[in-house]
Amino acid sequence: MRFMTRLTAILTGLVIANLALADTPSPQRWVSAGGALTEWIVALGGESHLVGVDTTSQHPQTLKTLPGIGYQRQMSSEGILSLRPDILVGTDEMGPPAVIEQLRAAGIKVQVLSASADVSALKGNLETLGSLLGKQDEALRLSESFARQLDSQHTWVDQAQQHQSAPGVLLLVSHAGAAPMVAGAGTVGEWLIKQAGGRNLATHSGYKIFSAEAMAGLSPEVMVFTDRAQNGASARDALLKQNPVLAASRAARDNRFVEIDPTLLVGGLGPRLPEAIKHLSKAFYPADTSINAKVSPAQ
Amino acid sequence: MRVILQPRTLFIVLSVACLLAVWLSLALGPVSLPLMDTLRAGLRLLGFPIAGHDLQQAELILGQIRLPRTLLGLAVGAVLALSGVAMQGLFRNPLADPGLVGVSSGAALGAAVAIVAGASLGGLPEAFAPYLLSLCAFAGGLMVTGIVYRLGRRDGQTSVGIMLLAGVVMTALAGSIIGLFTYLADDATLRTLTFWNLGTLNGASYVRLWPLLLVCVLVIGWLPRRAKALNALLLGESEARHLGIEVERLKGELILCIALGVGAAVAAAGLIGFVGLIVPHLVRLIAGPDHRVVLPASALAGASLLLFADVFARLVLAPAELPIGIVTAFLGAPFFLFLLVRGRT
Repeated sequence: MRFMTRLTAILTGLVIANLALADTPSPQRWVSAGGALTEWIVALGGESHLVGVDTTSQHPQTLKTLPGIGYQRQMSSEGILSLRPDILVGTDEMGPPAVIEQLRAAGIKVQVLSASADVSALKGNLETLGSLLGKQDEALRLSESFARQLDSQHTWVDQAQQHQSAPGVLLLVSHAGAAPMVAGAGTVGEWLIKQAGGRNLATHSGYKIFSAEAMAGLSPEVMVFTDRAQNGASARDALLKQNPVLAASRAARDNRFVEIDPTLLVGGLGPRLPEAIKHLSKAFYPADTSINAKVSPAQ
Repeated sequence: MRVILQPRTLFIVLSVACLLAVWLSLALGPVSLPLMDTLRAGLRLLGFPIAGHDLQQAELILGQIRLPRTLLGLAVGAVLALSGVAMQGLFRNPLADPGLVGVSSGAALGAAVAIVAGASLGGLPEAFAPYLLSLCAFAGGLMVTGIVYRLGRRDGQTSVGIMLLAGVVMTALAGSIIGLFTYLADDATLRTLTFWNLGTLNGASYVRLWPLLLVCVLVIGWLPRRAKALNALLLGESEARHLGIEVERLKGELILCIALGVGAAVAAAGLIGFVGLIVPHLVRLIAGPDHRVVLPASALAGASLLLFADVFARLVLAPAELPIGIVTAFLGAPFFLFLLVRGRT
């Protein structure tokens, strides 16, 4: 008899727990660590839920008014707790691990998503974010649109390559023109070049500082550059001034420099990448003005 | 040298400062807890039967976040300052800091290996990964110090001069290897490395705390017992020998204490500069050169300075936080300058 009472109690407990789980409302207060993820949350209409972001979340500008939780690998447990969040979303790069454990112990849901430059990883991330925000349909729509834009861009590139071979490209990240780092394998930078139909001439992995001589030796046809301190023509001039050898390169001779926003390269694939790819493709295949005008990637 | 405060007054002042630092460190943080909640949660953690379901949050923050952090700060601060005194006594040079025998650069090298290799291997067991960094840093510090000590020994004698040179060379060597790892590291790993080099008490947990506390208690218990020997060493090595001090043994013990203490502190909290170099100076400026005073007073002052710096580090940019290595120098340097200038006029 006693056993039966206990069993009933346990079962009732389980049922109640299950009901409670089923009834869990979607998290209201969000902290996001990871530039691209934050952009997706905003794209899914979740900006009003955000109560804090990390230093890599720099787009859109309105995020600047939110409390900053510091760099994603050096978060402070109490700092995040002080924002009273329900959930912390971030990439597998966030840490330190002890802080993540402390946050979990404090009852905050910690959602770890992928930071890899890979469309299937992005699809998974969007599904998770969508269901957490209660916007599955919207998330599905965004992820399909992203894939569609890439597809139509590939078609465009295929077409363009019938008239012109893929140009050799280097992507340089510099600070006021100094010590430019070259994007290699596994970076979002290289992913961008490939998607836009270019050949990345650098074969190393990650971002590395190259000597000016090595860069000139690769003889890039197009130079994609991004500068954390300056932008526009002044950034290009600074780059050429600090690295005079580049001025003799093919890219400089034909004046084929393309600038991109440095915030595009941080924290996995973000929603602004298809636009950036379009921009790059046009610069890679300037001869195809006809298809430039004709095919604009589907929205 | 003029004595500004008598030892007894100094100890009272430092004890009060240390208690104040501990209290601030427990009571202040980005999450603002009402004073009563902090007190009640504290009593509950001590085992007093105080009712309160509303205290869950306070108890968690106090017990799991602030308390381990405070203990870590106390231990690291005390050990760094004590090692600084031992170092300056051993080399009879006020510019000596614990980094001189290579323990910091060795630990940094160990950490760089752990961070970069760990990131590129990627397949470490989850339970083991958090300890890898600490273990590598500790082992690196011990190893490089061991080499420096070994190089300084000749015919049963330890030449402090050769050790000094060996320390400089080993530091340069370790620095270049760290540079190589920095070059090989990807962007994200690089930032981890940079932040580690600035030190932090963030993310302190009991699991990582106990080994450090054990080493600290040993060092804190042992070094002050050698105060008289250190005083004798101030006169010079042969003078100390004539006074009946086993100088070679003393050197060995001091090096071991420094290597263990700084190694463990760096392994737990990263590189925190300034404390080991300046705190002993500060204490000597105030209380004179007697090691019987300087050793315990430095331990208290180092612990207090680190806790004050940590409270500042966690509040100033909240909810983000500043690496503590930046703050220790930022707070300590002007104070030190003030004492220097005041002492001159």
